[in-house]
Amino acid sequence: MHRILIVSEEEFLCDVIRLSLAGMRADVRCAPGVAAMERLSRRMLFDLVIVVGTSLFFSGRDVVRILRPPGLRKPLVYVVAWQQAEQSVLSLLECGVDQYLTFPVSLQRLRMKVANDLNRQL
Amino acid sequence: MTERLLIAYTLLTALATAALLGALCASELQARRRCGRDAVLGSRYLRILMLYLLSGEGPVPRFPMIRRAGARRLLAETVAGLTGVTYGLDTAPLRRVVSAYGLDRWLLGRVRRTFGCRRARNLMLLARMPLDGAVAARAARYVRSRNRRVRFQALMVQLAADPSAALRLMAEYPAPFSACEVGEILILLRRGMLPIAYGPLVESPCRNLRIVGLSIVRQFGIEEAEPQLLRIVAGDEVPELGREALYTLCALRRPLTRRRVSRRLAVMSSAERKALMRYMAAEGYSPGLLRRLFDARRERSYCESLVQSYKRSLA
Repeated sequence: MHRILIVSEEEFLCDVIRLSLAGMRADVRCAPGVAAMERLSRRMLFDLVIVVGTSLFFSGRDVVRILRPPGLRKPLVYVVAWQQAEQSVLSLLECGVDQYLTFPVSLQRLRMKVANDLNRQL
Repeated sequence: MTERLLIAYTLLTALATAALLGALCASELQARRRCGRDAVLGSRYLRILMLYLLSGEGPVPRFPMIRRAGARRLLAETVAGLTGVTYGLDTAPLRRVVSAYGLDRWLLGRVRRTFGCRRARNLMLLARMPLDGAVAARAARYVRSRNRRVRFQALMVQLAADPSAALRLMAEYPAPFSACEVGEILILLRRGMLPIAYGPLVESPCRNLRIVGLSIVRQFGIEEAEPQLLRIVAGDEVPELGREALYTLCALRRPLTRRRVSRRLAVMSSAERKALMRYMAAEGYSPGLLRRLFDARRERSYCESLVQSYKRSLA
């Protein structure tokens, strides 16, 4: 079974994404901030992390490094946010983020993308 | 006698204070309880709604405690929240939920009874519901409201209900769009509810339509619009539009060493030129180009310090 972590300060958005992934064979966990994310990622290795919003990346912590233990490519990191400016997207990709999706997001597309990427990892 | 009066007065004051404090505590506790209940109920409503949308068929689900005070608002907020952050949802089940619980009529009633920003918020919720023409027609009168937010949200209701009339509705809107308002229209567009035909918008004589057109070009990086942008930059009718077109050219990172651009720069005020310089430095234009465009010595030193402060490694 795959393990997915959703990191979002907004409970509503976290719920929307969690429910859109319902029915997939995956253990989906939610974290409301960097501290909870760090705690969870230390306890278990996730296959995919979906970060909602970019505010986490301005917290002064290296989010991608916290998520990826040294020497491992896992987990994949998706960011879903409102920002559209090319520079912000590029800097996120340079940070090590694998996918960037902007709001409003298609839940079907997100689900398919997640399913494809997780199947590719197998 | 005076002593007794004083004691009675003190006693009464103490009792009144205690009663007031008690009432305050009770209302605080009730608000906290309601907040907690709303959070749990909102989460349950979202779950029920999402499961219904994923299944796509069947009878309209039953939402628990929907008759309680504030529950219908919670359901309306859940539907609006979901449609606000997603696109491509099947509108048929959503429409069924909205009509079964009468959310559109209920919101219209709230719009009628409230004023100011509350009315604007109710209109915003209404704009995110799947609507029919009748509801939009009843919200149309708020487009003439004196309150800017109410006016704009009423327009959003109409745009959401009848996207085919978007050009006419935006052209007839009685006030110039602010940057935030254009942003909201673009979100509607990104949800697939408005056409992305930038051509008629950019060519239109109406200021609002042109601003929306320029924002579409900027947001979707439509380089084919360059000749139209240069024409607007060269035009003398509305300086604001010329400036916006120039910013759009910068956002597309098009070459700016053109006679039309230089002419526009010459008529811009010093503050506007500085703002443009900052934007160009952030967009990554080379110091050489900045030097060529802004020839005054003071401006040149300003733009060099800007490029250095942005710490761009320019090859």
